[in-house]
Amino acid sequence: MKKTVDVSIPIGPVHPCFKEPARVKCETRGEYVLSAECELGYMKKGIELIMRGRPWQEVMFLAERICGICSVIHNMVFIEALEKISDIPVPERGALLRVIVNELDRMQSHILANFSYCYTIEHETLGMYLLDIRESAMDELERITGARVTCAYIVPGGVRFDLRDEDAVHLRASLDIIERDMKRYIRMFEGGPLIALRSKDVGVLTKESAKEAHAVGPTARASGMPETDMRLHHPTYQKLNFKPVFRTEGDNFARIMVRFEEIMQSIDLIRRCLDMLRPGPIRGGGIPSAGETVYRGEAPRGELSYYLKTDDAGRIVDISVQTPSIMNIEACTHYMLKGVASLADVPSTFISADPCIACTER
Amino acid sequence: MSGYLYEKDLVAMKYAILISTRHDRLVREIAGDLGISPQNLRRYMIERFDMILMENLPARYEAGKAETGNDAPLADALGRVMYTRYIPLLERENMNSILGQVREMIANGTPQEEAVSRGKRMIGEEIRR
Repeated sequence: MKKTVDVSIPIGPVHPCFKEPARVKCETRGEYVLSAECELGYMKKGIELIMRGRPWQEVMFLAERICGICSVIHNMVFIEALEKISDIPVPERGALLRVIVNELDRMQSHILANFSYCYTIEHETLGMYLLDIRESAMDELERITGARVTCAYIVPGGVRFDLRDEDAVHLRASLDIIERDMKRYIRMFEGGPLIALRSKDVGVLTKESAKEAHAVGPTARASGMPETDMRLHHPTYQKLNFKPVFRTEGDNFARIMVRFEEIMQSIDLIRRCLDMLRPGPIRGGGIPSAGETVYRGEAPRGELSYYLKTDDAGRIVDISVQTPSIMNIEACTHYMLKGVASLADVPSTFISADPCIACTER
Repeated sequence: MSGYLYEKDLVAMKYAILISTRHDRLVREIAGDLGISPQNLRRYMIERFDMILMENLPARYEAGKAETGNDAPLADALGRVMYTRYIPLLERENMNSILGQVREMIANGTPQEEAVSRGKRMIGEEIRR
């Protein structure tokens, strides 16, 4: 009879498939994972503490430095929280430009997440194709905002730069190319028999578990929870008649497919914004004032929440940032990894939740 | 120096998580509800929870609050779902045993409010132990 052993196997903090350091400790019986724990603390920035007492003009730059991959949404949520406190209106053109930049950022983040997954399951060809097409989204971000990451594009009352006509034409052309290529890559992912073997019915997160861990973003939407999308509550997205993408399988395959479908949805949203753009101001007036609020936005990885307290001079008295990776890594560690049949599936399941340690250790 | 870097003592890091704005509010709210000191609750959490669960406590608490009202009324008042599933302070068996004792108290004529309050103190005792 085969001997059954109980072994505790640490994965990380340094692992070739992890973009950032985290230690996942798996309790195993043979290859079967009985339970898992995740320990952090390898790159704690203490950015909330650095932000306290500083004027908003400095903190807006610090906020987008919490995460290099989804910097636009940190910028957007921080500024929109300030606008909510101070009742600062945003002109329609400015609001639409915010959505365009935010959706471009979501596209590049989702493409990077899916690249990481393909790389982890050893489908490097598709991974490299995805990295290549990500450059088109990054180029468009740079063309509109002047920077690939940490763009500081969104400011109280609007955006920093207008979209020139020639940039709008270039953006539409790039979207056509990205759409054409993405369709091909989605077919490759959907139809790949080896991809299916590594992804379908692996790392399943049930709807009940997702609710318990407060999973958010594509991780929750792959488990049948479309209501978790914060864009449903955003006034500009409501004007765009936004409907969230979701699936019900809850496995690695579903999480990657939700991201692919959201990339296509982002392309559609940007096109709709471009159609709705009318000449007009991109930035209104307004001075940040004293107040306190909790503001939520939909980051590429899910619900991002800022608790913000300011004084009369617009200084940040208190701030607390709840990033989506916190919820998703917890859901992954305690629910998805539990019961994984092979240790080889642990890194791929972990990556399928698109963990961002920089966000988690803000 | 001996020992691996990844096996280092995590108490200081875990404590740093628990004294952040959101976590501090949560700890004080739960400690107040269970009639124990925040220090006792922090120690208990540091000993039992891994870091990612600790980071996620405010979100789980929010999710738990949204679920309130879906359990039996007495179990809800005692926080059975909250303190066993969302903020896993107690094992389900221990909580059910406390719930059983609360039911017994009510059957013996103790007003429900007082029985629940005593039940919560029992949960606090489990944590202090």
